[in-house]
Amino acid sequence: MRGRRGKAVFLWTVVGFCIVTLSLPTLIIIGASFTAGEIIQFPPDGFSLRWYERLWNLDSFQDALWRSLYVSVICTVIAIPVGALAAIGTVRYRLRFRRTLQVYLLLPFTIPLVVSGIGLMLVFGEVRILGQLWPVGVALCVINLPFMIWAVGASVNSLDPELENAAANCGAAPVQVFLTVTLPAVTPGIITGGLLMFVLAFNEFLVSLFLVDSRIVTLPVQIYNNIRSVITPDLAAVSVVYILFAVVAVWLLDRIVGLEIFLRSR
Amino acid sequence: MARAGRQSYPLTWRLLDIAERAARLVWPRRWKRQVGYLMLTPAVLLVGLLAIGLGYMAEYSLHELDLSTYRLVEEYSLVNYQTIVDRPVYLRVFWRTLLAAILVTLFALALAFPYAYLMVRTSSARMRKFLLIALFLPFFIGQVVRAYGWLIVLGSEGLINTALGALGLPRLDLIYNYPSVIFGLTQYMLPFAVLMMVPAVAAIGEEVELASEGLGANWMQTFRHVVLPLARPGFIGAGIVVFTLSLTDFAMPEILGGGTSDFIASSIYDSFFQISNFGLGAAIAMVLVGIGSVLAAAMFILVGTGTLGMTGGGRDTGR
Repeated sequence: MRGRRGKAVFLWTVVGFCIVTLSLPTLIIIGASFTAGEIIQFPPDGFSLRWYERLWNLDSFQDALWRSLYVSVICTVIAIPVGALAAIGTVRYRLRFRRTLQVYLLLPFTIPLVVSGIGLMLVFGEVRILGQLWPVGVALCVINLPFMIWAVGASVNSLDPELENAAANCGAAPVQVFLTVTLPAVTPGIITGGLLMFVLAFNEFLVSLFLVDSRIVTLPVQIYNNIRSVITPDLAAVSVVYILFAVVAVWLLDRIVGLEIFLRSR
Repeated sequence: MARAGRQSYPLTWRLLDIAERAARLVWPRRWKRQVGYLMLTPAVLLVGLLAIGLGYMAEYSLHELDLSTYRLVEEYSLVNYQTIVDRPVYLRVFWRTLLAAILVTLFALALAFPYAYLMVRTSSARMRKFLLIALFLPFFIGQVVRAYGWLIVLGSEGLINTALGALGLPRLDLIYNYPSVIFGLTQYMLPFAVLMMVPAVAAIGEEVELASEGLGANWMQTFRHVVLPLARPGFIGAGIVVFTLSLTDFAMPEILGGGTSDFIASSIYDSFFQISNFGLGAAIAMVLVGIGSVLAAAMFILVGTGTLGMTGGGRDTGR
């Protein structure tokens, strides 16, 4: 137990347990979605695509899916310029209250999501935009903005400022420096951040719960409402949509920046 | 810039010139030092929405609900906060949430460290990729879907109970109780914990471990006296993130607890939408914000920020 073997056994036991708990729900959902039976059970009662078919014909599901995509696009489109500029601003420029500003920009992470959700509901209600769909996108952008700033900030940090100085020295004016040196260098960060923002918005549930009503319900809220009533296998089929999105997102992230980027020490 | 050759300029140059001139018009050169503030403005305004929302909540929390009109009264008072202290149910919810957050943090840290360690140390690139994917896939699948997956696994007709039934064993009530909420939350927090742990583990040189082993320590002693102390920033960073996220969670206790294990967030929700007492709900929310901030600040002061330490502060370019 004290030798190299013992260490391997210990590590692999714990990590094996982690892998099983991390993956089990996902695998089970995929399995359950193909059941031919009327209720969720395991092992599934025969194989069929009937729940996918049902889903395809269910307007409420399709509408919720489109709404979720719409909200995620709004969130991402706002987050990219706002987050990228904020990241470049905080890293590259000498700011008087840098620390304070950084702490302030982390507010979305330090305020609990329930509180953010209800707070935004009150704000939106006050300006009479509650009940519309686009404010939900804005809200999701606000609560996840630190992810965007963090992703771009990492790229800005690894860009040597002398490159920008060199471009300026060679006669490039500020806008040109920004467009031809700074922006291309931080593009991987922008893509990573944009991807994160999109997927997180697509999955976001709690803040959406406060901002949508029955007319503009988004997909995660719809799933939640259904879980609380009757659990039918079509929910599993909906969840598979989410799993597919996650697979695509992980694949893209791996292709664009490489997942190994998260293994770096600081 | 000679005016003569202008027509032979490529289009992009001319566009850039226009852009430069427009930029200078909107933001004159002498304000150059303030460009940084300009860049931050949109983000500051956007986050300002949250600050305003928090302000509303603070305001609401100071008004009592008038039960005859179901509106908040004009006068300021601390009645709502008094109600929280007086009613034992809220105290119970607070303790339940706090205990859950502590337990989830302990479990998540205990699982995250070996995961991060193995992922950083493994010599096989393929293995590393597999561990990364196993981590990121659930990270990108929302909480609701993951909780739903656990309902299928642990539910009365679920995987485990069916297996037990097939073996002729009695069925177990595995969901709608406190342990299932703890379990679901731990699983939910694991990717966060590992990602916060990794930078600290990656910063530990392998030669330090080899040196320790070369001096005769077995791996447990090396872990105990060398690796774990060096990984401290990871434990701190991961601990703070997991603790604050668990403390404020809503979906897991709602879905896996099924009303038996409400957290503070559920109480806030119920005050707003079940009993329509905005004042009381806002007061509970303020207490939650207070507890979270005080505990996080205490951690920062006592043990530092660990891997949470801000990365953006990096280089000052002197512009």
